[in-house]
Amino acid sequence: MRTLRSVVSWFMPVVPESRVAVLRTVLYLFVIIDIHLIVRDPIPLSRHPELYQPLMIERLFRLPPPSVPLTITLYLILMVGGLLAAANVLPRLAGGVVAAAFTWWTAIGMSYGKVDHDHLALVVALWVLPTVGVIADRWRSVERSRQAGWALKCIQISVIFTYFLSALTKIRSGGWSITSWPESSILLWAIVRRPHGLGQFLLPYPELLHLMQWFSFTAELTAVVVLWLRGRALLAAAVFWMGFHVFTLAILYIHFAPTAICWLAFAPLERLAPWLRRIKARGRERAGGRSAGHPVPVLRDQAVDGGG
Amino acid sequence: MEQRVRSISVASLAWRIAATVLGIGLLLNGSLLMSDDAWPFGPLSQYAFSPSRNSTIVITRVEGLLADGRRVNLPLRVETAGISRAEIEARIPQITANPSLLRSVADGWMSRHTAEPALLRVWLVQDQTRLVDGRVGPIRLVELAAWELPS
Repeated sequence: MRTLRSVVSWFMPVVPESRVAVLRTVLYLFVIIDIHLIVRDPIPLSRHPELYQPLMIERLFRLPPPSVPLTITLYLILMVGGLLAAANVLPRLAGGVVAAAFTWWTAIGMSYGKVDHDHLALVVALWVLPTVGVIADRWRSVERSRQAGWALKCIQISVIFTYFLSALTKIRSGGWSITSWPESSILLWAIVRRPHGLGQFLLPYPELLHLMQWFSFTAELTAVVVLWLRGRALLAAAVFWMGFHVFTLAILYIHFAPTAICWLAFAPLERLAPWLRRIKARGRERAGGRSAGHPVPVLRDQAVDGGG
Repeated sequence: MEQRVRSISVASLAWRIAATVLGIGLLLNGSLLMSDDAWPFGPLSQYAFSPSRNSTIVITRVEGLLADGRRVNLPLRVETAGISRAEIEARIPQITANPSLLRSVADGWMSRHTAEPALLRVWLVQDQTRLVDGRVGPIRLVELAAWELPS
């Protein structure tokens, strides 16, 4: 019984709901950026019905093949729904609609031959964020709940699984061997294919590339421990993985922005509203001071105050 | 500041646990057994394969012959051709069997480059880079398919 309870509270810790409210704002705004910069091709792709190869999810739900009116409708739904949900307005309805529309939109983007894997955490986030429901006072909420804790935990697990599962896939694709991927010429292959980044300068050093493969493979395989880290150790892990993404961006010109942004599910976002309030109050104080005719602080006044 | 804790019903707890178990199960199943077709529960297979130290690296491109005699590269990006390189690469067998599928690239390029002379012919080509014992070796250009645009 006690084990069950501890498992339940690991999957559903009690956390401040304001964390979810802030994360909603960030992620729904990110969706709007995403459909313009990352998965930006569904509308042009929908002009090529002859190249469409529906994914399992599209066949399962019998989704109609993409057409230009359909993709433009999805685009408009995502824009309107994204803005509403970012403002924490109608979180269940707007959030649910955005989750379905974005999943479909992204699935269309992946139905013309190439499937990307940087959207796992974001898609999961969009499906779980609405389940927290209405958060009174939004960013300034003082309520805590397991509902919020579960949503955040799901996003955290998805972020970490993006790394861990990619390591599993590397073991699988190498014929269930631990060494085949790290010892392969994969980075060389990737750099030759994407000669835009700094990676070209590494082409003459295949041994260094192997070392980098071993390093990233080990990091991915052991990423699961991050789910049990707290405080400084968690911060260090987050900084490490952000560095990892900056590095792959520099070397290969590959970004994992949708995964990177979901790292915010680990952050104490509930501190944002009080922090903003303090900044505002300080600004007001300063403005108020000036209007009361004190252009500079008067030292003696402070001493009197301090003395009681 | 005092913080209240919202209550949660047993049913709420139960469906969340069920969803978590199902989700993790689908993800593991996808990574260990399924293909990309199972997105978003498919394997995270980008850059996950293991090219050998003597493999050939191919870059697929489309080239076009313009009415003024120039042979130009039609960059395979959504902005320039309406379709990306990966999408064309995934269709190579279909395109070599039926080169008229290159129409999508030709149309996409022409509609975005109206000031350029008309396209007469397009080729699907590959730059093939051979690795020799883990190092970059010679590069060669291979033509996979050609298609005359209907005049």
